[in-house]
Amino acid sequence: MKIAVLVKEVPDAAVEKRIDASGRLDRSGEKNLNPYDTHAIEAAVQLKEGGTIPVEEIVAITAGPAGAERALHKAVSLGADRSVLLSDDAVAGSDVIATGYALAKLLERESPDLVLLGQQSDDGENYTIGAVVGEFLGYPSLTQVVKLDIAGETITAERQAEYGYDTVEIDLPAVISVGDAINEPRYPSLKAIMGAKKKPLEKITIADAGIEADKVGAAGSKIECGNFTEPPKKSGGTIIEDEDTSATVEQIVAWLDERKLI
Amino acid sequence: MSATTDTTISLPLVPSDEELAIRTAVRDIVEGFGADYARRCYEAGEPPSAMWKALAEQGFVGINVPEEWGGGGLGMWGLQLVGEELAAAGGATLMLVVSSAMSGSILPRHGTDAQKERWLRGVAAGTTKLAFAITEPDAGTNSHNLRTELRRDGDRYLLRGQKTYISGVEDAEGILVVSRLRHDDGTLGKPTLAIIDVDGPGFSRDEIPMPYLGPDKQWTLYFDDVVVEADRLLGGEEAGLGVLFDALNPERIIAAALANGMARRAIDQATKYANEREVWGQPIGAHQSVAHPLAEAKVEMEMTRLMTQKAAVLFDAGSPLAGEASNMAKYAAAKAAVHAVDAGIQAHGGNGFALEYGMSDMWWPARLMRTAPVSEQMVLNHVAQHSLGLPKSY
Ligand SMILES: Cc1cc2nc3c(=O)[nH]c(=O)nc-3n(C[C@H](O)[C@H](O)[C@H](O)COP(=O)(O)OP(=O)(O)OC[C@H]3O[C@@H](n4cnc5c(N)ncnc54)[C@H](O)[C@@H]3O)c2cc1C
Repeated sequence: MKIAVLVKEVPDAAVEKRIDASGRLDRSGEKNLNPYDTHAIEAAVQLKEGGTIPVEEIVAITAGPAGAERALHKAVSLGADRSVLLSDDAVAGSDVIATGYALAKLLERESPDLVLLGQQSDDGENYTIGAVVGEFLGYPSLTQVVKLDIAGETITAERQAEYGYDTVEIDLPAVISVGDAINEPRYPSLKAIMGAKKKPLEKITIADAGIEADKVGAAGSKIECGNFTEPPKKSGGTIIEDEDTSATVEQIVAWLDERKLI
Repeated sequence: MSATTDTTISLPLVPSDEELAIRTAVRDIVEGFGADYARRCYEAGEPPSAMWKALAEQGFVGINVPEEWGGGGLGMWGLQLVGEELAAAGGATLMLVVSSAMSGSILPRHGTDAQKERWLRGVAAGTTKLAFAITEPDAGTNSHNLRTELRRDGDRYLLRGQKTYISGVEDAEGILVVSRLRHDDGTLGKPTLAIIDVDGPGFSRDEIPMPYLGPDKQWTLYFDDVVVEADRLLGGEEAGLGVLFDALNPERIIAAALANGMARRAIDQATKYANEREVWGQPIGAHQSVAHPLAEAKVEMEMTRLMTQKAAVLFDAGSPLAGEASNMAKYAAAKAAVHAVDAGIQAHGGNGFALEYGMSDMWWPARLMRTAPVSEQMVLNHVAQHSLGLPKSY
C-alpha cells in the first residue's frame, strides 16, 4: 500500500504571528514543518514498521512557496520515502476549499491507498483540510483520529470527540486527519538528516497537476480576509493568597457559586 | 582525517539546512527531558543516561567518528554543533568532551583496527563511554611532571599512580590514562596512553565533592599495579605528545562549544527575563546597565562561536594551525561564558540565586571552563611563546 502524508510549512511556533499589508499571514520569519504533521508522518511510519500491512511507500506532499522544500526535507528525515512540492505563484492566497482542491489534484496523480494529515495547521488552524480533500477525491474522511488499525481493506479508527471516543470502521482508500494524541513523533536521526536531500523531491506546477488556475489562489477563493483587529486583551485573573486554607476554599466556592458553576 | 592539510576545507558561515536540522534535533531531544533534568540527575547522584541514550540512538554523540566505525563522519565540526546545542538546552555533560571528543578523535587516528573494533564502535554508538585521566595531584598544569608509571611485566604492563579531578568515571566503562613507561635505567619515558577498565583489580576511586557542575562527578583514582595488556596501549609504548594532542585539541574545542552553549542559554534566559520583569513601570531591559552587559556578552559569544568553529574545521582538516585555534577558542569561550552568566545572574536580581530560575546553576559549569581542561594561564603561556615568539615562561 501507498501512504500519502499532506504536510505544510508554517511560521515557527516561537515567531509572533502577524498579518501583512496584503491581509495574508506574514511568512518572512523562521519557518518549520507544521508540528501537527509530524504526528501524521509518525503514524505512517508506524504502519510501515508495524508490518501488519505491507507499506511500499510513504510520500510527503505539500503546496507552498519554493522555501517549503525545507519542510519536505524534514518530512523525509522523519520517515517519508520521497516528496512532492506544488510550487506555483497561482496557488498563493488559496482559501481552504481552493487548497483542498489543489491537494486533491496532487493526490490524484499519486493515487494513494491512505492519505494522512495533521489535525490542524499551526498557522491557519482550520481543522478542515482533510474533509475538503476527502470530498474532492470522493474518499471517506475522518478527523481527530487517535488510534488507527488497518486489516485488509478496512480501517478501524478511534476518534477523539468532546464526549469521549468514537470507534469507526471505514474502507480504504480514505483521508484521515490525526490528533496529536495518536503518537509521540520520533526525532530525526543524524543519518536521516544527512540523507534527506538525497531522497527524490519532485517539484511541479499547476499545469503538471492538471489544476485549473481559476480554481486556486485569490481568484479561486471565496473567502476574503480583511479588517483585522487585535484580539481583546484578557483581563488579569483574580489571585487569592492562601493564608488560611479554609478561608481560601470559601472564597473559591463563593466565586464559583456566583457564576453558577457549582 | 589524514595529517595532511586540506586547503579546500572551509568554514561555512551560513548554516546549511543540515546544520540547522542537527541543531534543532539535539535541542528538541534535550529539552524533552525538561529544563531541570541535569539538576535532577545531580541530586539523584545518577548519570544523565536517558538523555545520553536518546542522543546516542539518533547518532549525535558519535557524530564526529568516521562512518566506517559507525559514526556520523562529521568530525569536530559536527560535534561542536552538538556540544553547543546540548549546553544551550541545559544538558551539558563532560562525557561529550572526554568520550566523544577525546576518545572519538584519538582512536580513529592512532588505534589499531582491533582497538577500533573494541572501543571506537561503542564510542560512536554511545554505548561505550571512556573517561580521560591525565591530571595528577602533583602534575596538573605541568604534564612534564607526570608520575603515574607503567612497568613491563612479561608481555604485559602494570600501572601504578594516582590521578585526580577525573570526570565521569561513575558512568564510564574504561578510562584513557596517560602514564609514562619506566625504562630499565629508571628514567620515565614520553607519555603513554592506555585504556584501562573501570573498577578492575588494583583500581580504586574516591569522589571529590563539588558544587553543581552538571550531572557528572569528579574522582581521584588510585592504580595499584593495575594489569594493562599490551593491546590496551594506544600508539605504542611511548606514544608521545603528538598523539596526545589528537585528544587534547578536540577536548578544547568541545569544552569551548559547551561554553558557547552555556553563554547562549544564559543570554537567552536573561533577555527574556529583562523583557518581562518590570520594577519601575517598564521592563528592566530598558535600563542600559542591564541591557549592555547582555549585549556585550552576545558580542563575545558570537566571536567565540566563530573561533570554535574555525578550530573545529582546522582540526578536521589536519591543519597544524588547529592547536593554536583550539587553545584560543577554549580561552575566549570560557571568558565569554563567565561574562554571560554573570550578566544573566545580575539581570535576575535575587532570582539569579534561586534554584528555581536555573541561573545560579550556570555559574560553576561556566566558571570551570576557565580552569579546565587547560587553564587560562597555560593558554596565554602558549600563545605568548608559540604565537608571539616571546621567551618561554616556565
Ligand atoms: C571539575 C573538573 C573536572 C576535571 N576533569 C578532568 C578530567 O576529566 N581529566 C583530567 O585529566 N583532568 C581533569 N581536570 C583537571 C584540570 O584539567 C586541572 O585542574 C587543570 O588543568 C589545572 O591543573 P591543577 O589543578 O593541577 O592546577 P595547578 O597546576 O596546580 O595550577 C594552579 C594554578 O596555577 C596556574 N599555573 C600553574 N603553572 C603556571 C605557569 N607556568 N604559568 C602561569 N600559571 C600557572 C594554573 O593556571 C592555575 O591557575 C578537571 C578539573 C576540574 C576542576
